[in-house]
Amino acid sequence: MVYYVFTLVFFLFDYFILAMGLNIQYGETGILNFAYIGFVAIGAYFTGVFSLPSSLNTGQHYILGLGLPFPINLLLGGLAAMCFALFVALITLRRLRTDYLAIVLISLSLVLYDFCNNYVSLFNGADGLYNVPEPFAKSLGLTVNSFIPFFACVTAVVSLLMWFVMSRVTRAPMGRTFRAIRDDHVVAAALGKNVFWMQLKSMLIGSFYAGIGGGLLIQFGGSFNPTAWLPGETFVVFAVLIVGGAGNNIGMFVGALLVETLLVHLPAFLPEIPGHPGLIEYFDLALVGIVLMAMLWFRPQGVVPERLRRAASFGVDQRRAEKPGSMGETSIPA
Amino acid sequence: MQLFWLSVGFGFVTASVLAIAAVGLSLQFGITNYVNFAYGDFMALGGFFTYVLNSQVLHINIWIALTMGSLGMGVLAVIINRLILGPFARRFSKSHYVLIVTFGLSLIMLNVEYSIWGAQVRFFNMPISAALHIGPLLLTRNQLIVMAVAVVLMVAVHTMLKTTRLGKSMRAMSDNTTLAMTSGIDTKRITTITWFLSGTLAGVAGTVLGISEGNLTPASGELFLFVIFAAVIVGGVGSIYGAMAGAILIGLATEISAAFINPSYKLDIAFVILIVTLLIRPSGLFARPGTA
Repeated sequence: MVYYVFTLVFFLFDYFILAMGLNIQYGETGILNFAYIGFVAIGAYFTGVFSLPSSLNTGQHYILGLGLPFPINLLLGGLAAMCFALFVALITLRRLRTDYLAIVLISLSLVLYDFCNNYVSLFNGADGLYNVPEPFAKSLGLTVNSFIPFFACVTAVVSLLMWFVMSRVTRAPMGRTFRAIRDDHVVAAALGKNVFWMQLKSMLIGSFYAGIGGGLLIQFGGSFNPTAWLPGETFVVFAVLIVGGAGNNIGMFVGALLVETLLVHLPAFLPEIPGHPGLIEYFDLALVGIVLMAMLWFRPQGVVPERLRRAASFGVDQRRAEKPGSMGETSIPA
Repeated sequence: MQLFWLSVGFGFVTASVLAIAAVGLSLQFGITNYVNFAYGDFMALGGFFTYVLNSQVLHINIWIALTMGSLGMGVLAVIINRLILGPFARRFSKSHYVLIVTFGLSLIMLNVEYSIWGAQVRFFNMPISAALHIGPLLLTRNQLIVMAVAVVLMVAVHTMLKTTRLGKSMRAMSDNTTLAMTSGIDTKRITTITWFLSGTLAGVAGTVLGISEGNLTPASGELFLFVIFAAVIVGGVGSIYGAMAGAILIGLATEISAAFINPSYKLDIAFVILIVTLLIRPSGLFARPGTA
């Protein structure tokens, strides 16, 4: 029982981190990153191979295998996701507007999936990495049962730390510039903001969060394989973001609680329907899609709407207060 | 050399599947101006409609089942547009909301397909045909029919767009919806017809994909989607003829490369071509001026 509760706590805080990363990309800057789970996977794999010992001893095939201790491998995993984001952003961000960018990113996520699945010597192919060392398990003498509550608490601490940093970032002038680009990038450019450079920064920060979230995933479960990051998983993070309220870090926590914990992970503990393996999971994921659509239709600003920031706005408050919907969206009456 | 010609034959079959799918996607994109990320699942569902008619319920001939299943998918596409996508597109002026909705639709459709048909691999009930030598190419009768279906559909789409009143209205809407509306074109009707055609073509493409790959699962459209995107972007987004040319280019490139590299990576070749196109000529090889 304790085991289940702390598993839920872990996923709550881990998806809090993941949703904050997507929030700065999509919710704050307006980059529709449909490849988000790909960056999570990069972070997870690199955290794994940085902490696993040399591949000769384990019977798996992977690169690196440095055997680094816990916080260092996690940080390097986050940085690896950032480096990948830099590469992706330099190719795509400058050239493409919203929907083309979304096409290229979703293609990227699919091709990355296909490649990691087939190229065994990179991250052990379809089997994925397993037996990743559990952090502090040896030094603190943790058993399988005590590791889960312990690591859920570690994740909570990490996520609160990252929330503190993110709340500073979104409140800073940089955060205001991000939102200006999201609302109208032409106007932002006309005011002298370097749109590409700011979008690039937003991509890098968000990908770092993705990498850390992914790294915590592999450290918690000890394994990570391609089925954990099918493109549909990106959608779960989007659902967390939309339900919680785009453009609001606290909303990400509420979204993670409602979608990831209650909707995605709690039904996993329901007993299987005999003769129909996986049926509950399929219904569950379809339900996530339906909830997101209903949320977008009835309350597009999310459970916790984006706050109006007074310091940044002169006379904008009244106008925005009249408009329903988040992100300065106007709804056209039928 | 024999391997090369063999892969050219496969390339034309893949190109045929791609061309049908890419034209269906482009038609809808040109009219509604947003991308349908559920298109891969439209394909898979169309394939399963055919499968049900062919192997589960009526046991009718595969080609008749293909026609009926695809038309069924076309009707479903119209319903989905009326109930979900259309209202969202009208309500939100920014396109990213609709993109998220189509992405969500893809998740819903995929999991509904999984809950009905499960994850196991399905096969169409069709006669196994001997391979025929045509020049240097080696193709089965079914592969030839797939290619013939593609050619007939492409000619039909071309004729419709260039000669009929409907096609003219569609091209007008694709250029400028507001102007088309003020010229007296019933844009709502054209949108409905476009979704029907797009869904039907998706159904045909999903079925012939199942025939050419030899199997069908709910996820078969999912991974194929980015190959379609590659064909559409290489050809130039929104251009029907670009989509056809892109399909041939991507189809041949992926299959011929499979003769020289590990075939597991043949789809990745499509992605490399996509990236190179974006770097050199972002508007695509056959883009209409002012669209991309």
